Amino acid sequence: MRNSNMKPQLFNSEREKDLLGHLVTTSLKYKLWIAFLLLIIIIGGYAYYRQLTLGLVVTAMRDYTSWGIYISNFVFFVAISLVGSLISSILKLNKNEWAKPLTRVSEIIAVAAIICAAVIIIVDMGRPDRFFYVITHLRIQSPIIWDVIIISTYLIISLLLLYLSLLPDIALCRDRLTTIPKWKKWMYRITAINWTNHPKQIKLLKKVSRVLAITVLPVAFAIHTVTSWLFATTWRPGWDSTNLGPYFVSGAFMAGAAAIIFTMYLMRKHLKLEAYITEYHFDKMGRLLVLLSLVYLYFNINEYLGPAFKMVGVEGEHITELFVGKYAPLYWFVQLGGLVFPIILLIIKPFRKPLPLFIISLFVILGAWIKRFLIVIPSLQHPYLPIQGVDESYLHYNPTWEEWAITLSSFAWLLLIITVLIKLFPVIPIQEKKEESKTVVEQNTLKNETF
Amino acid sequence: MRLFNFLEIHTLKLFFLTGFLVFNTSLIHSQEAMEDANISISFSDENDSKTIIAKALDQSGLPIEDLELYFFVKRTFSLLPIGDSFNVTDENGLLEVEFPKDLPGDTDGNVIIITKIIESDLYNDFSMETIKNWGIPVILEDPKVEKRSLWAAAANAPITLIICISSMILAVWYIIFYILFKLYKISKITSIQH
Repeated sequence: MRNSNMKPQLFNSEREKDLLGHLVTTSLKYKLWIAFLLLIIIIGGYAYYRQLTLGLVVTAMRDYTSWGIYISNFVFFVAISLVGSLISSILKLNKNEWAKPLTRVSEIIAVAAIICAAVIIIVDMGRPDRFFYVITHLRIQSPIIWDVIIISTYLIISLLLLYLSLLPDIALCRDRLTTIPKWKKWMYRITAINWTNHPKQIKLLKKVSRVLAITVLPVAFAIHTVTSWLFATTWRPGWDSTNLGPYFVSGAFMAGAAAIIFTMYLMRKHLKLEAYITEYHFDKMGRLLVLLSLVYLYFNINEYLGPAFKMVGVEGEHITELFVGKYAPLYWFVQLGGLVFPIILLIIKPFRKPLPLFIISLFVILGAWIKRFLIVIPSLQHPYLPIQGVDESYLHYNPTWEEWAITLSSFAWLLLIITVLIKLFPVIPIQEKKEESKTVVEQNTLKNETF
Repeated sequence: MRLFNFLEIHTLKLFFLTGFLVFNTSLIHSQEAMEDANISISFSDENDSKTIIAKALDQSGLPIEDLELYFFVKRTFSLLPIGDSFNVTDENGLLEVEFPKDLPGDTDGNVIIITKIIESDLYNDFSMETIKNWGIPVILEDPKVEKRSLWAAAANAPITLIICISSMILAVWYIIFYILFKLYKISKITSIQH
C-alpha cells in the first residue's frame, strides 16, 4: 500500500506525466467499472456452473442447432483479434506514421480477444475435461485441429507483438514509477528483462519487431481463414462457398477497426489523451473503416448474389429465411445499419468526428456480432438431409439465460483484460521518437518535450 | 328406488371382484403349469438355400404344436430378426426358417444364430445361441495398408497434408523461438554492460 507521506510521483516530462499518470492513480470510476465487470463475470460463472453440473441441456442447443451463440461469439472474438495485425503489421509495414499511437491499443485488444476466443471454445464443450483428447488423439485431417493449432500460435504471436512494443516502456515504468506498490515494481523489473536502451538492444528489438510484423500477417490471415473453413468444410447451405475465407477476413478487419475506434474514444475520454489521440486519428480511422467496409460489402455481395439468383433447394430456403423470413429484421439491420449506412455516413467528413464515429463504430460492432449469429444459426437449421420426426424444440433456437449470461460474461472478460492491461501499461508508446503524426506536432502539444 | 340402485351397484362390484379373483387364480395356475420346452436346431443347406430347422418337444418328449419361436442373428449393436413375423411349429413340432444369403459374418464367415421363446402362455422363456458358418466372410482392412485419405485414421493422413501443415507450423514456431532467443540475448546485453 502506498504511504501518504511518500513523495509524490515525479515525471521527466509532460508527455510522461500524461501517459504514465493513470498507472499511479486509481480513480473511483475505475473501481466501479471493475466491480461492474466482475459482477457480470460472477453471474456468468454461476451460469457456467449450472452448465457444467447439468450439462449442455441448459442451453438451447439441440441436434440441429448444435452451434449456438457460443460459436457465434467465438467467430466474433477471432475477428476482433485480427485488429492487432491490421495496425501493427499492415499499417506499420506501409509506414503509416499516424497509426503509431494506436498500435498499443490494437495489440491489447488482439490479446484480450484471442484469449476470450480460446476460452469460449472450451465453454462450448459439453465435457471440457476431455479437451486434451483433442491433442492426444490428434487427427491432422480435421479442420478443428487446424483451428486449435492456429489459435494457440496466434495467441503467442499476439502476446509477443504486444510485449515487443511495450518493452522500452516497461523499462521506463521500472525506472520512473516510484510510488507504485511493490508487486508492480517487481512485475516491471521482471518483464523489463534488463532493458537499458542500449544501442545493441534497440537494434535487436527493431530487428525482431520487423520479423514479427511480417510473420503476424500470414498467421492472422490463416487464423480467420481456418475459422471460416470450419464452416466451409461442413456441408450446409450458406457455408458451402469458396468465398468464405476472404469474406471472413475482410469482415474481421472491419469489425477490428470499429473495435479500435470504440476503445480509443473511451480511452481518450477517460485517460485524458486528447493531445495524443486527436481528431485527426479519428478522421483517419473513419476513412480506414470506410475502405474496409467497402471491401466487406464486395464480399457480401459475392456471398449472397449467386445463391439468391439461383434459389436452389435448401440454399434457396436459407436465403428466403434471411431476406424475408424470421431472420430478415436481423439480416437487414446488419447489412444496412452495420454496413451500408456506416459507409455512406463516414464518407461525409463531420461524421468522422470522434463522437459520431464512436456511435457508428458501435453499430458496426453490433452488426458484426449479429452477422456471426446469422452465419452460424440459420445455416444449421437447414440441413441438406430433411428433418424428420424430431421434437418441435429442435427446429428453433432461442438462447437460454445461461447462454446469454455466459456470453455477456465473455464480453466482460474481454473488457476486463483490456482495462487491466491499460491500467498496468502505458497505452501510447512513450519512448518512440517519431511516433507523433504531423497533426499532433502541428498542434504544438508536444513541442517542448525531450525524448 | 334408492335401495334398488344401492343393491345393483354392490352386486356389480361383487361380480367384478369375483371375476378378478377367478382370473388371477387361473393365471397363477397357468404359471404353475408352465414348463420348459426342449428346442433343438438343425441346419439344412440344400439347393442353394439355407434353412434353419427347429424342433420343439415338451418334457414328455411329445412334439409341441403352434409354439411361436423367434430367430435372430447377432449384429454389432443389436439382434437382427430373421424369418417371418410369426414362426410357429407344425403338428410334428417342426419349424423351418430360411436364412438370408447376404448376411456378413466374422472373418471366417461365422454368425451367431439366436433362437428364442418369448412370453409364451405355456412355456418358459428360452434363448439359445448357435454358431454357424453361413455368413459372408468379412475381410477387415489392415489399418497399416489403409489408403491415405482425409477420411482415413489419424495415422493415415495424406502425406502432402502432413508436410504442408507441419512445415507451416515449424516455420512459424521457428520464428517464435528465434524471437524468444533474441529477447534472451537482449536481456544479456545489459548484464554484460553492467
